[in-house]
Amino acid sequence: HAIARISDEFSFDPIEKGLALRSVNSSRSAYAYVFFSSMFFQHYCWTAVSQPCQKEKQLSLPCKLIIKSVLPVFRCVNVLERNVEKCSICTNINDHHITFQLLCKYGVVKTYNLTCQECDPLQAVFAKHMCPNILKVHPRLLADIMIHFPTSQEEVTLSVTPMKVCFKSYTEEDTDFSKTMLTEIQLNPDEFDYFQVGVDSEVTFCLKELRGLLAFSEATSVPVSIHFDVSGKPIAFSIEDMVLEASFILATLSDVEKETWASGNTTTTFNCNAGNICRWQVYFTRRHCKDFKVAKALEITNLQILHHVVSYFCKCCIFQFHSLFFGAVSCKEQDAISHTFHSLATASDTEEDFGNVNCGAISSFRKKFNCSSSS
Amino acid sequence: MRFRAKIVDLACLNHFSRVINTIAKLAKTCALRLTVSKLYFILSDKVANGGVSMWCELCQGNFFDEFQMEGVAAEHNEIYLELVPENLSRALKTAQNAKAVKIKLTNKHCPCLRVAVELPSLSSSSRMVTHDIPVGVIPRRLWNDFREPSVPDFDVSIYLPVLKTMKSVVERMKNLSNSIVIEANLSGEMNLKIETDLVSVTTHFKDLGNPPWASEDGCQSSTQSRDLESMAEARIDIRKLLQLLAGQQVNPTKALCNIVSKRIVHFILLHEDVSLQYFIPALA
Repeated sequence: HAIARISDEFSFDPIEKGLALRSVNSSRSAYAYVFFSSMFFQHYCWTAVSQPCQKEKQLSLPCKLIIKSVLPVFRCVNVLERNVEKCSICTNINDHHITFQLLCKYGVVKTYNLTCQECDPLQAVFAKHMCPNILKVHPRLLADIMIHFPTSQEEVTLSVTPMKVCFKSYTEEDTDFSKTMLTEIQLNPDEFDYFQVGVDSEVTFCLKELRGLLAFSEATSVPVSIHFDVSGKPIAFSIEDMVLEASFILATLSDVEKETWASGNTTTTFNCNAGNICRWQVYFTRRHCKDFKVAKALEITNLQILHHVVSYFCKCCIFQFHSLFFGAVSCKEQDAISHTFHSLATASDTEEDFGNVNCGAISSFRKKFNCSSSS
Repeated sequence: MRFRAKIVDLACLNHFSRVINTIAKLAKTCALRLTVSKLYFILSDKVANGGVSMWCELCQGNFFDEFQMEGVAAEHNEIYLELVPENLSRALKTAQNAKAVKIKLTNKHCPCLRVAVELPSLSSSSRMVTHDIPVGVIPRRLWNDFREPSVPDFDVSIYLPVLKTMKSVVERMKNLSNSIVIEANLSGEMNLKIETDLVSVTTHFKDLGNPPWASEDGCQSSTQSRDLESMAEARIDIRKLLQLLAGQQVNPTKALCNIVSKRIVHFILLHEDVSLQYFIPALA
């Protein structure tokens, strides 16, 4: 249910240590990761499968499921708790099937055979330990804060200084104040189990996408850790206990005025390529050009390092979401993290390099920002 | 123009929230009139509302611990604001265990009612939640639109049945028809009727009692000479009636309606410190 807030599909990836579920939203600005260790399950049996076409033994069997087809299995938690004695999950990769079986009271057995597709799950590469700002809070408190915002509230701004923490409705220059009700919650650092603010910052993220994790963490009563940096860099909400961990990593709005690194006429792009670990990097650079700001994004969306270039001109859209760094899930997970900032950099100042325009990505960005753009 | 008010008592806050919730169910936008001693929520009978109008009056002293108001001018010491009561309802919804709620008229980007809720917290200092509710200031030349409606020259006045019962009856009738006929007589009998091509349903209430109205000139001729059994009736929009009934969160001390045959139904709901009048015109 929590992941359903992010996307329509998720990847189901059993590995030796446990079961990983991952999901990314369509604009690549939110990533959910939930990992159930094998100890979470009463019985966990996982076997490696080797396929002759792979150079090395394939250790993981990730596949993709549509959330709409899985949700009915776990529809009413209350009803499940009352009636279901056991739940068993089996994967059959050859048939592309995952079977969920609910063994209920009175001998009733509900079997759900769901089709799945092989996939290469995306994994957000985000160095939590490098974040200057870390807050740790009981999920009840977080829920008590978010309840003051209307359920329709899309974006929320978190503003911190060493002295105070403030959550407020997001507003921008052209917000119609005469029509919008604004809410602001101010908290004392004392209310947090752990409070570290290395740099004053104001980050804006999508509340709707977070609500899934809020509900999930409240159910587990595990404290939520919030790792973040300055605006533009992602914010991570995570919970961790002995048998499970979950992270929701959300992109934050990049405030053009506050950005210091992109100015003038220079734009820099990075292309990354490292063997069979590929990276998806989406970020925005700006070029000030007379009277409008031009945002360009370079997006590498495919394992085969297919560069899709999205460039769009947007007069009204001053703020853009910074997307997340993604890496392929592979056994070399450690490498992925250490290679975060590795690049075979190619500086590029001209537009000629950005030949292919990915219409699909443009339309999803357009939808996200509701602004007109000319291609 | 200044306005500041503060509620500290939880029971008062609760009561005030319930009034606002009722208003929010009756009107999407309404006028808030502030005087030195009272607050009024007013909906005037424009075509856009379907001709319904509402007048709700509260004594500020019964709710607020502090109440300071300075009107637009000395001779007109009142403030008229246009607001969306749902916003106010939302702001108060999560304030139910607040230490204090302050309401202030401010003008940052535009005129707003700032509702500042001080909530208890685990730490030494309280948690502050602030809601800025945009309002429109209604200029003095339009104040005449919001005068108190007069009690119409009704044919029958009768106490309403238990609102909960009436609501559940009307709720079921709503599925069958868009309009409902309310009829009542001076013998304490009331009928709610709907009629469609296929079915007609009538619910009969009796022994409701008729309120005594002392009229100004000493005789209410239209009702006194009226046959006690004769029914006055009006056909009204069932959804408007349901809005009124569904919005009631607490049983009023007195609930009655005045029917002007085929013209209008005037509902009066009285609580200890709040009075609500709601007019639903008859359908053509």
